[in-house]
Amino acid sequence: MKKFRSTADSVVPFVFIGLLLAGWEYTVKLKSIPEWILPGPVQIVRTLIDNAPLIAKHAQSTLIECLAGFAVAILFSFIVAFLMDEISLFRKAVYPLIVASQTIPIVSVAPLFIIWFGYGILPKIIVVVLVCFFPIAISLLSGLAAVDNDYLELFRSMQASKLKIFRMVKLPLAMPSFFAGLRISAAYSVMGAVIGEWLGAKQGLGTYMTLAQRSFQVDRVFAAILAVTLLSAALFALVSIIERIVIPWNRLNDK
Amino acid sequence: MPEILVEGVSKTLGGLLTLGEINLKAGDGDFVGILGPSGCGKSTLFNIISGLMQPDRGRVFIDGQDVTGRTGRVSYMRQKDLLLPSLNIIENVSIPLVLKGMPKKKACAEAALHFNRFGLAGFENYYPRQLSGGMRQRAAMLRTYLFSSDILLLDEPFASLDAITKRKMQVWLIDVFNAVNPTVMYITHDVDEALYLCDRIYVLSGCPTVVKLEISIPFRRPAHGRTIIDAAYGAIRDKVMEALEI
Repeated sequence: MKKFRSTADSVVPFVFIGLLLAGWEYTVKLKSIPEWILPGPVQIVRTLIDNAPLIAKHAQSTLIECLAGFAVAILFSFIVAFLMDEISLFRKAVYPLIVASQTIPIVSVAPLFIIWFGYGILPKIIVVVLVCFFPIAISLLSGLAAVDNDYLELFRSMQASKLKIFRMVKLPLAMPSFFAGLRISAAYSVMGAVIGEWLGAKQGLGTYMTLAQRSFQVDRVFAAILAVTLLSAALFALVSIIERIVIPWNRLNDK
Repeated sequence: MPEILVEGVSKTLGGLLTLGEINLKAGDGDFVGILGPSGCGKSTLFNIISGLMQPDRGRVFIDGQDVTGRTGRVSYMRQKDLLLPSLNIIENVSIPLVLKGMPKKKACAEAALHFNRFGLAGFENYYPRQLSGGMRQRAAMLRTYLFSSDILLLDEPFASLDAITKRKMQVWLIDVFNAVNPTVMYITHDVDEALYLCDRIYVLSGCPTVVKLEISIPFRRPAHGRTIIDAAYGAIRDKVMEALEI
């Protein structure tokens, strides 16, 4: 009975999405809405398959920007979170700045990067870093801050150095929170890259999307959106798999 | 000769006089209980003995050596097991050896020698979250023991366990104590636990904390957690209760 219920639970969202798509397809067919205004899901999937090699090529450059930006953001987050955790003066100085930086709309500063760094891959990577850095750094930081003080006292009573306490106690205990932030930014990273590409690029899903839009090939726009979604989901899944490998113990439930 | 001597220790925390002139002594192989109401600065006292905290006045001597404000001679165990969820049991308990500079493999091998005596055999590769509260406290106790085997400071180690598990753990603790014979200081607010486990009891007052009563327990610990039937039991228990103002 319980098993049946859990299977039913996982089926429900798929059925719902299926119904939505069927409704969409049906409306488009019934009202004969022109393809350049709103194509049906079947048409979109067909376009995606027909243009698969081209879209894959664009997706590849987007993916490279994502991964590069993601890696840089993780590296920065670790450095900043470590310094903020260890040096309270640094924390006081930098924390408000990091939070305030989040109020700046990325779309408005991204064109500046193109002015400064040209149409190459660099400005896109910078946008991805900006989008990803905040959730990763904040989740890592709050994970570090949430470590029970009794752990720290115990390890200090055993004469562990500050660095050892960080490595042996704080970092592992902060990992679940860190991965929560990582999963969010994995999904965001693709969006960041696409925004970067919109404003001018030689390649990438964002470029493909803009070109399709300008020639009213709405089915291609949707195909590109679908590709972006798939890419985001894939990165999200990748992070989840890495999480399972890195912190297998976190999946054990407390007794 | 591991001997703990606390001389005239006092401490003010946040403007409140928490400890007022505490004098304690635990001789070699003694099992000394520290009994008092909650929030009376018992843990502050242990923080000072373990060297995590400096007293305002007074000294702490261990083996005749002044260790006031210096960590490393004793480690202590708390109510929370404080095992790292990211490491399995054997890695967790060998942490003190690793911190002392022993290679990890050797430390695990060394720790493994004690698993039987501490009732942990077979659980080496389990993660803390897979174990019950009682088993986790055993592991925490072994970790404490591996840091300093001759002096154990235990701060309400069984307070979060249910009554039956608690009794079993007390019996187990006595077995371990008889086998390795360390000097133990044991904080509790459970009168019967103190009378059952300890050779001597210090009864502390509420804030500011002073020693209200020092009393030796004349009867021997009953085997396997059976009821204490010594004639002196009732009188001593009443005296302790009176000192606690119950």
